[in-house]
Amino acid sequence: MRKVLALLAIVLVVTSSLFAGGSAESTAPASAENPLTIKVANYALLESGYEDFWNGVKEGFEAQYPQYKIEWVTAPYGEILNQVINMAGGGDRVDVIFGEEAWVPQLYASGLAAPITDIIDADFVADFDPAVMDVFTIDGGIYGIPLYVSPFILYYNTELFEQAGLDPANPPKTYDELLDAAEKLSQLTDTNGNKIYPFGQTTASVVVSGNALISMIYNFGGDVFTEDGQLNVDNDGFHQAFEMLATLDDLGYNPQNAKLKDLRNLFALGQLAMYYDQSWGFNGVTSINPDAASFTASAAPLAGGDGTGEAVLCAHCFILVDNGDAKNEAVNAFVQYVISEEVLNDYMANVTPAYPAKNSMADMTAVAESGVLKGASSSISNVKKVPYVSAMSDIALDLCTLAQAVTVSNTPVDEAIDAFVRSASTKL
Amino acid sequence: MKSLSKKKGDMYYAMALTIPAVILALFFIFIPIIDSVIKSFQDYKVRNIIANLPGEWNNFDNYKKIFQSGALPNAIVNTFSFVILVIICQFVLGMALALVLNSNVRCARFFRSIMMTPWVVPTVISALIWMWLFQPQYGLFKYLVSVFTGGSVADFAMLNNPSTALLGVSIAALWKQIPLMTLLLLAGLQNVPTDILEAATIDGAGSVRKFFKITVPYLSPVIKVSISMSIIENFKQFPLFWTMTGGGPDGATTNLAILSYREAFVSMNMGSGAAVTTIWMALMIVTIGVYNKLFRTQDLT
Repeated sequence: MRKVLALLAIVLVVTSSLFAGGSAESTAPASAENPLTIKVANYALLESGYEDFWNGVKEGFEAQYPQYKIEWVTAPYGEILNQVINMAGGGDRVDVIFGEEAWVPQLYASGLAAPITDIIDADFVADFDPAVMDVFTIDGGIYGIPLYVSPFILYYNTELFEQAGLDPANPPKTYDELLDAAEKLSQLTDTNGNKIYPFGQTTASVVVSGNALISMIYNFGGDVFTEDGQLNVDNDGFHQAFEMLATLDDLGYNPQNAKLKDLRNLFALGQLAMYYDQSWGFNGVTSINPDAASFTASAAPLAGGDGTGEAVLCAHCFILVDNGDAKNEAVNAFVQYVISEEVLNDYMANVTPAYPAKNSMADMTAVAESGVLKGASSSISNVKKVPYVSAMSDIALDLCTLAQAVTVSNTPVDEAIDAFVRSASTKL
Repeated sequence: MKSLSKKKGDMYYAMALTIPAVILALFFIFIPIIDSVIKSFQDYKVRNIIANLPGEWNNFDNYKKIFQSGALPNAIVNTFSFVILVIICQFVLGMALALVLNSNVRCARFFRSIMMTPWVVPTVISALIWMWLFQPQYGLFKYLVSVFTGGSVADFAMLNNPSTALLGVSIAALWKQIPLMTLLLLAGLQNVPTDILEAATIDGAGSVRKFFKITVPYLSPVIKVSISMSIIENFKQFPLFWTMTGGGPDGATTNLAILSYREAFVSMNMGSGAAVTTIWMALMIVTIGVYNKLFRTQDLT
């Protein structure tokens, strides 16, 4: 008898472990008494400086719409996409993903991203700059809605410019001017005798570095892809961008193999005179040096070769998942609640400096009074769309490898580009 | 007759007790492996998972692309270089530490306790700690190298140089893994019979001779298991690489784990990721098989 009981216990444990989980969802209409929960995937809640804002969003939204509740799905920045996809694979789809414009191709290719025009009110969507919305457009559908935008802009340290005898009101406008300024800036050291790098372009093996490199290629008037998403690197701008990286490396002007956060650290500590970053990267600078605003200014991306300094437009955005009418209604309310001057003004003024994507928010005080963003404001109209490529993230990492080849490995540019083409072409 | 049925009953009972383990192994090990191998021959992307669509046979396309990209040979070389370097250093240093802790050194228990600290630190945290130590502008290693070279090497950047990056990740792996190796070897050393060691001492055997002729043979089962564990651990090492270098610079630390992750979760191509994983699994099986064969040969001599 004891043996039988023991066996029954084992069978129970095994079956319960195999088939545990799952819950029934209520189909009753949403109300304050029976609120509908929407799941919002948000990596920012795990990053310092952003938690208060997003908790305030949840509190404010639930107070304004008592029939809805927000459930955060969190994971670190590098893992949130996998988390969302793994959940969807198990039948548990989130309703909203807070992410970057670079995630849209992956989520579109995975079949998760829904056209926002199916979910968000048309008059709300119509208020966005069409050039900005073009960034989120794939095969005629719009698959993301931006909270705010920024190209990769040039942040520079006005105090170091003065120390080097440069005019802080006239930052370089071209890569040739950059090299001239860099020569003077490279003579400086900080108070501890540490080297000061004149210029920072991220090249480390992370996806955002690849996007920054595409932006640099665009600065030179180059291309990476054709309009239909095929590889297109046989152009002067592409070659010139990597030749410039090799030159900057030979002269010791650019910190090697640096991530954006490394550049932010160096800039905050006064060991980097200029660097490319998304506007909101300044939050990373002020988290290390709260006084950074006193010496920081911004400028439009540099022009190189025959280019005009075009750049990649970046955005923090919502990517939406179609989980049925009831959820879509809640998501519509949530998106419109967040992307509003009332909610975003303080955030963009104090936490995440950025340019608004909505026309009606163009004159909001967070932007009008932003000292650090003023210099680069013209850059917002000189952006270029990255064509849709489903393997964009992996190719971005290949671009980082190419940049590392011409810098840390001293591989000749043409040879490194050949290796890049060999690897990237198998992914398209 | 009665005893035979009792014997049968016991046998059925024993078989029933093994069923949970068999079911779990079947569902969580064997089926996923077979499924992964099947998917390595299919066009199978994230969209298939989400929409619950079956993969389609794609005529070895995943394997062809992996070989055409040129990334595979580099990843295999990096994987084996890392495994060999880490295991040799880990065994030598782990054995040295175990011998020290097994002697009558003062505060041995205390050292044994604090020595385990790196082992309990999560791998990602270890990676972050070592990234900061190797940081090229203000890291401790840069400062130490500058001091010891009299300032002639002022910009040492372990993880930024393709020729030293793998060494940098190996140092982080060693820091984390040596404690476990030491602990296992120490447990083995404490089972070496002291009477045989004393007899050898009386017979005039020196320390080195006693170590190689008595200690090592007695330790060989422990050595075999601990090195097998270490081969597997380092063959599939992912978090240290991904956190510290992301496979860079210039592919210098792209191992099979990184390559597989990039194919499956960055390119979102599960079929291609499965192809790398299948090659990776085959290499690991061969490696462990060769190791076991070599070690068995050594046992017999």
